[in-house]
Amino acid sequence: MTLPLKKERDEMILNMGPQHPATHGVLRLLLELEGEVVKKVVPIIGYLHRGIEKLGEERTYIQNLVLTDRLDYTAAMSNNLSYALAVERLCGIEVPERARVIRVIMAELARIAAHLLWIGTYALDIGAITPFFYCFREREKIMDMFEMVSGQRLTPSYICIGGVRKDITPTFLEALRNFTDTFESYILDYEGLLSKNPIWLARTRDVAVLSKEDAINWGTTGPVLRASGVQFDFRRATPYCGYENYEFEIPYGTRGDCYDRYRVRMEELRQSNRILKQALNNLPDGPVLADVPYIVMPDKSQVLTDIEALIKHFKIASGAFQIPKGEVYSSIENPKGELGFYIVSDGSSRPYRMRIKSSCFVNLSALPFMVEGQMVADVVAAVGSIDIVLGEVDR
Amino acid sequence: MLVKINGQEYEVDQGTTILQIAREKGIYIPTLCYLERVSPIGSCGLCVVEVEGQDELVQACNTYVEDGMVINTDTPSVKAARKAALEKILEKHPLDCPVCDKAGECKLQDLVYELGYEERISHKVVGIPLLKEPPVSYSTPGIKYYPSRCVLCQRCVTICSEYVGREVLVVNEEGDKPRIEPLYADRCISCGECLAVCPVGALTENVSPLKVRPWQKKVSRTVCPYCGVGCVLELNVGDNRVVKVTVDESIPPNYGTLCVKGRFGFEFINSEKRLKRPLIRKNDEFQEVSWDEALDFVAEKLTAIKESAGPDAIAGLASAKCTNEDNYVFQKFMRAVIGTNNVDHCARL
Ligand code: SF4
Ligand code: SF4
Repeated sequence: MTLPLKKERDEMILNMGPQHPATHGVLRLLLELEGEVVKKVVPIIGYLHRGIEKLGEERTYIQNLVLTDRLDYTAAMSNNLSYALAVERLCGIEVPERARVIRVIMAELARIAAHLLWIGTYALDIGAITPFFYCFREREKIMDMFEMVSGQRLTPSYICIGGVRKDITPTFLEALRNFTDTFESYILDYEGLLSKNPIWLARTRDVAVLSKEDAINWGTTGPVLRASGVQFDFRRATPYCGYENYEFEIPYGTRGDCYDRYRVRMEELRQSNRILKQALNNLPDGPVLADVPYIVMPDKSQVLTDIEALIKHFKIASGAFQIPKGEVYSSIENPKGELGFYIVSDGSSRPYRMRIKSSCFVNLSALPFMVEGQMVADVVAAVGSIDIVLGEVDR
Repeated sequence: MLVKINGQEYEVDQGTTILQIAREKGIYIPTLCYLERVSPIGSCGLCVVEVEGQDELVQACNTYVEDGMVINTDTPSVKAARKAALEKILEKHPLDCPVCDKAGECKLQDLVYELGYEERISHKVVGIPLLKEPPVSYSTPGIKYYPSRCVLCQRCVTICSEYVGREVLVVNEEGDKPRIEPLYADRCISCGECLAVCPVGALTENVSPLKVRPWQKKVSRTVCPYCGVGCVLELNVGDNRVVKVTVDESIPPNYGTLCVKGRFGFEFINSEKRLKRPLIRKNDEFQEVSWDEALDFVAEKLTAIKESAGPDAIAGLASAKCTNEDNYVFQKFMRAVIGTNNVDHCARL
């Protein structure tokens, strides 16, 4: 591959990654350095490209659900949700109320888990080891809860077309209640470790600033956009799953630096916990799967006792269904920003095209604005602060 | 003659059934037991339609049209009757799909999915446990019969008596669940016609140990290698092995029919024992040799025999498995090169 950079006298071309602990996966950054100063940076991606969009054309709508787990694998539940919403809109499926609330619960838990993972690893990146242990302690509880409902920690495929795979259990509800009751105090723990820590401040305050204009022009979403001072959130702008009925604030920053991104995410932890509490108190009874037999898989317990359910399960799993012709774009507020699915249906059981709009990809493209002209040591702080997951950047 | 179906008028010929017209005009009427090749069986009760002026629903497969008939195929009562008929079948059906050979190309599955597209067919839990009854012996070892999966459509009985003409099968009404019984097993010629028409997994093929689901297999149309009729058949290939033979009913000369060899005699294709290289017996043992050596050996011996005992001491036996062209060249070789008319051919196998 020819280098996109030209080396002049006194300049150094440096490859950071693709195997580098601070690039959060297999990202390669091509840096042009003049001494300690970064003149130019080119993110080179594709090392984790698995062709998920193309695979989506080969598999049925049902099978594609498990591919979505593998996008931003730190928040697989949210990915499931975004995909399910898109297909449901295509088919005109109404999801039962209980399933909608459960979906909100899962999406917010996924947000908390993803943010906790980010805080822990980001602190590691720039030299603080302790927060990692605290964050992973709580994240583990969420992982356990995911395992309770789906049997899986990282790739649950729990939110499915038509609702959620299985109803939540009393044990889950109890665990969730315990979690929401105690989580606020844990947030104080993390903040106590970081917010006023002078080293932390030195490494994040006014580092990797992204102006409001650049953030908007470059199409960034999620905490990166909000930290630059734009109060925009898909849960508010285009509500789904009944988010319009929940009370929460949209935290935003003023300076657009690493510290603001950290602050925004911290505050989002609080808001998510708030939403969780409301969802817990307003959890209605009822079914968790829509009654649309041609596409919604029957409950597994039924499948083992009822031949009609078994046959339908078999037919759906083997792709007998047909999705109405048409196209749809639907997106949600993932922990990292907008995750959208654009699906074109030709009336068969497989998408004609499945385009995935990834916030990680877009946010990463704003990296050069943050670090060019800065010190090389801040590159790590900048990359970390965007919170990318290469599984979603490369798809 | 004019009839009205679902509000639309059609010009039709006398002597056609409602179902035939509907099929011709592309109007959906589900069937399970209907077979074009034989007279209507009328056992499944799924093809019912409403005819104005008649109190009860009639079966489309065996009702002939009359002038001015007004037919409705899609009314609530028709739908309810179809669901009731299907529910009756499902009530006694085992939860076998995951282990059933037919799953994926099963007519019963298709019907349940089609008729239950918008809502459930049955309002209770239907079906009996997995593999309730093991397969029972049948009139030919090439086929297994699973009584619990049988929907008693009687396609097999009818095709055997009306089409094949062997009358091997009867319906045994005794016991709590009627079943098919090969009462006259000694008449069975193992043609497997019953297997081909069974819409579900009640009759399954018992030859190939390897099975594949329909979406995993590749189907190649070819001509049967056995006899001179040249039946057209389809080899179902999975995992690079022939696992089953099926037939397309619309293609001459056999129009869906096969004999025992064509239908069940495919295992030789992937047999380990097939000759792949020439062998020569040396010291009472066969040894693999190169083609050059084998041909030299044959040429030498044939020349020697011809010289010592004359060309009529040699005879040639060709095979029906070879193509016409191969066989033509073979007899030419015998007559022109060897110089004998001693040529024969196994026109059977
Ligand atoms: S016959 Fe059809 S419905 Fe019955 S078990 Fe086999 S595949 Fe399933
Ligand atoms: S064995 Fe097959 S063809 Fe014969 S009656 Fe049963 S289901 Fe019908």
